[in-house]
Amino acid sequence: MSAVATLRNAVQIRLDRWVKRRARATPPLRLAYRQIFILPTRFGWLLGLLMFGMLLGSLNFNNNLGLLTTFIVAGLALNSMLLAYRNLRGLKIQRCMARPVFAGQPARLRIDLINDEARPRPGLQFECSEAFCEVDLPANASGEAELELPTRARGWMNPGRIGIRTTYPTGLFTGWAWFWPERSILIWPRPAESPPPLPLGQGQESGREVRREPEGESFHSLRNWRQGDPLHRIAWKASQRHQTLLSREFRAEQSDHLMLDLDRAPGRDLEERISVLTAWVLQADQEQLPWTLSAGGQILGPDFGDAHAHRCLDVLAEL
Amino acid sequence: MKQRQLPTPPIAPLLWTIAAFAVAAAPHLAAVPLQIAIAILALLGWRIAAALRGWRPIPAWLRVLITLGLLVLVGISFGGLWGRRTATALLCIMLAAKMMELYRVRDLRLVASVSFFLIATQFLFDESLIYLAYLILGCWIATLALVRIQQIRNLGQRLEDRGLDGHPMIAHSARLLALSLPVALVLFVLFPRLAQPLWGLPDDALDGKTGLSETMSPGSIASLYADDSPAFRVVFESGRPPPPQQRYWRGPVLWQFDGTTWERAYFSLTPARTAVPIDGQSIRYEVQLEPHERRWLLALDYPAQSNFPGSKVTADYQLVSRQPLTSLTAYDVISNPNFQDSPELGQYQRSIATRLPSDRNPRTVAMAQEWRERYPDDLELIQALLRWFREEPFFYSLETAPLGRHSADEFLFDLRTGYCEYYSSAFAIFLRAAGIPTRVVTGYQGGYWNEGGQYMLVRQSDAHAWNEVWLEGRGWTRFDPTAAVSPSRIQQGSASALDDSRFLLDLPWVNELRNRIDRIQHLWNQWVLGFDAQSQLNLLKRLGLPELSSSQIGLLMILVLLAVTLPLSLMLLREARRQSSSPVERAWRHLQRRLGRRGLGIHPSEAPLEWAARIACQLPEQREEIERIAQEFRRAHYGPNDPQRSERFIEASRRFRLFDHHRDHQATEL
Repeated sequence: MSAVATLRNAVQIRLDRWVKRRARATPPLRLAYRQIFILPTRFGWLLGLLMFGMLLGSLNFNNNLGLLTTFIVAGLALNSMLLAYRNLRGLKIQRCMARPVFAGQPARLRIDLINDEARPRPGLQFECSEAFCEVDLPANASGEAELELPTRARGWMNPGRIGIRTTYPTGLFTGWAWFWPERSILIWPRPAESPPPLPLGQGQESGREVRREPEGESFHSLRNWRQGDPLHRIAWKASQRHQTLLSREFRAEQSDHLMLDLDRAPGRDLEERISVLTAWVLQADQEQLPWTLSAGGQILGPDFGDAHAHRCLDVLAEL
Repeated sequence: MKQRQLPTPPIAPLLWTIAAFAVAAAPHLAAVPLQIAIAILALLGWRIAAALRGWRPIPAWLRVLITLGLLVLVGISFGGLWGRRTATALLCIMLAAKMMELYRVRDLRLVASVSFFLIATQFLFDESLIYLAYLILGCWIATLALVRIQQIRNLGQRLEDRGLDGHPMIAHSARLLALSLPVALVLFVLFPRLAQPLWGLPDDALDGKTGLSETMSPGSIASLYADDSPAFRVVFESGRPPPPQQRYWRGPVLWQFDGTTWERAYFSLTPARTAVPIDGQSIRYEVQLEPHERRWLLALDYPAQSNFPGSKVTADYQLVSRQPLTSLTAYDVISNPNFQDSPELGQYQRSIATRLPSDRNPRTVAMAQEWRERYPDDLELIQALLRWFREEPFFYSLETAPLGRHSADEFLFDLRTGYCEYYSSAFAIFLRAAGIPTRVVTGYQGGYWNEGGQYMLVRQSDAHAWNEVWLEGRGWTRFDPTAAVSPSRIQQGSASALDDSRFLLDLPWVNELRNRIDRIQHLWNQWVLGFDAQSQLNLLKRLGLPELSSSQIGLLMILVLLAVTLPLSLMLLREARRQSSSPVERAWRHLQRRLGRRGLGIHPSEAPLEWAARIACQLPEQREEIERIAQEFRRAHYGPNDPQRSERFIEASRRFRLFDHHRDHQATEL
């Protein structure tokens, strides 16, 4: 990193810290004068220069109508500044979140906005690193902005500072505020593009285990109660301990038990194995097969369904 | 040159931007040479057609070529003369050339903002009252364009018009402009003014209509007589104007004659050797002079002194300023009509005042020499000449023929029809031929006394030329040969000297109306245009403030500006409160409160449907009802306004009851 970049970074960190200290910087928040900054735009500076020329010329020739024109433009600029500020002041940023996505897919950072004043707020621009979007909020309405952030590596991604800015109504001034999302975005591993087939019935240990035990014989695990579970399966004692309804699960129910083990997944390195495992989780979920994930010392399942898949993907992302 | 892809701006902001430029440029277009105006209009027309018909942009090389062509056109049209007219024509043509690449947001913004500049430059030429309308209209359209450009959404290569609340834009920008007026007025009154200009002005005569010229050749100021625009206005301290015989407003004094043209002598600009005394009969008055781009300040014979900074009284008693007068100028003058100019005439001045080119006007010279023998006394000869003018068939008319090489001969013996320039020129040539020192004085004669406004209006059509003859014992004495032919010209003004009306609308009531309008213009000049450093000090003094330096005025300006903008800002920033909630919202909130009491309330972060899904899990038996109510709320609240749907939702939400046994059942289970 060059010296300039280092310096800029240091300044940036201090600036961010200062902004965060000044006022609440994570949603939900309501923009107030402590969060809002305002400066002329490049076009604003240009018009300022033009006004200076008009002023000098008119003063020199004591040209009163020329002066009047200059001063009207000055008044216009002053009002633009106020209105740009007003366009942000009082805006509520309710939430700023993103659902997890697979690495490589854009993360959609959703910002929920509320305008509870009886005037519209046009031209609200949001930006976060390279992402940009623009929203017009009508009077007394809520709306949302969505920023598409590019993702690369799995794991927690901190989107960093989000800017909300406006150059309403004339483009002479830009008013802006900075805020940070409530939490980082979890990026799931990228699924392998052409993964080996699911380890079904290949006689391997990580593959399908076919148990011939009669149904209900062997207690396997507890899991959250789901609608449709028979009452006799509910583990009342355990439920009381965990303050939630739990059902007993029996291995015999899953005759096609799928064991997805990170250590035994094919692949040259950890990332490759993780991405194979990710693909398998997705495939198993799609085929509605129950599976058990064993990764990084954690064992999830056997279970099936979206919630299970999400938990598995979370675990894989965080490895 | 690389041809970049240009985006297509939305039509409405583009047209408003073009309109802003067109309005700002309109008065300039009327004043620049026709070919430049046509070129500008052609470019405007092309851009509008290109926008409406979707024509492709002009390739870059052609744009460069056309721009260079336009520059050459300006250069040729103005003959390489550099002045304000050339500069503004150049600005107009450059903006018109910008039409060829008016595609990006920043192009539009540039044109809209330079329109403000263009409006301001127009006032270098004319500051009449009607231009106030131009100022306001121009600023308004330019503001509208800026507001409209702001509505363009930039999607990289494509520009899209968000067209937010389309038509209120006009009112919106008018409001924006109106809000800027208080600030503008405070700045106007209190912004520290310059007592002296920072830099001088180029000596360029503009538009040809700006009044007297520095030279006179018979026929040259004919156009002035048809020009009824004001030359200056005068307010007399006594409240009464001087008698008509004294209303000679002295301008350039011309000594040198080369056969066709009368010019000033170089010593004209040296300061007067004898100061004009100020006595009880002196006339004190204030002149408001329309800009005429020249250095002379008009004053009644003979100006003693003026308060105008840098002004001086010259050897032949012209009042001149150091700078050309380019904006409305007000100055006080004291004149003494009973002054004796040069009782002794220097040898050099006498030789200049009797010099004639030798090879011209043989008939006039012969007649003058003959008369010289007949009338040895100068005064007698002059009176004989004036009598001759009166008795011979000489006519006063603006319809004349141009004169050739022997101008006096042609006029005195053949044409005998002309106006003041013809008479004063021939008169001076005749007397010089007789050896009598004579000079030509140009300026204005007469003026209209506006009874209601208590001021005198002198128009361009009052321009006049007369003579001064040096007489032993009397010094330079004024003679007006035109008066000998047409006494009414002097008594009643220029308009009365002609038989026919000069204009179609030269009717008494029209003139009366014009005089009334001129009174408004006079007030405008007095209070708005004539406002300068001095008036600013006077105003502050009248408000009871002590003499302030310009930095103190600046401080005062900032304080007053704050006092004005603070309430304005508070008004603007006042929170626009939520409108009183609709019945739908009230019913929804009531339902939330009821369920909230049972621990099923909505979380602040929850959307209606999310909430419904959550509590439906807890109340499976009422799942359908809950989901239906939430759906109905969503449609009634966020959807298009539909009273029936709102009614349905309100009814359903009121009827909704929790099945109490269900909760009890659940509670026991857990």
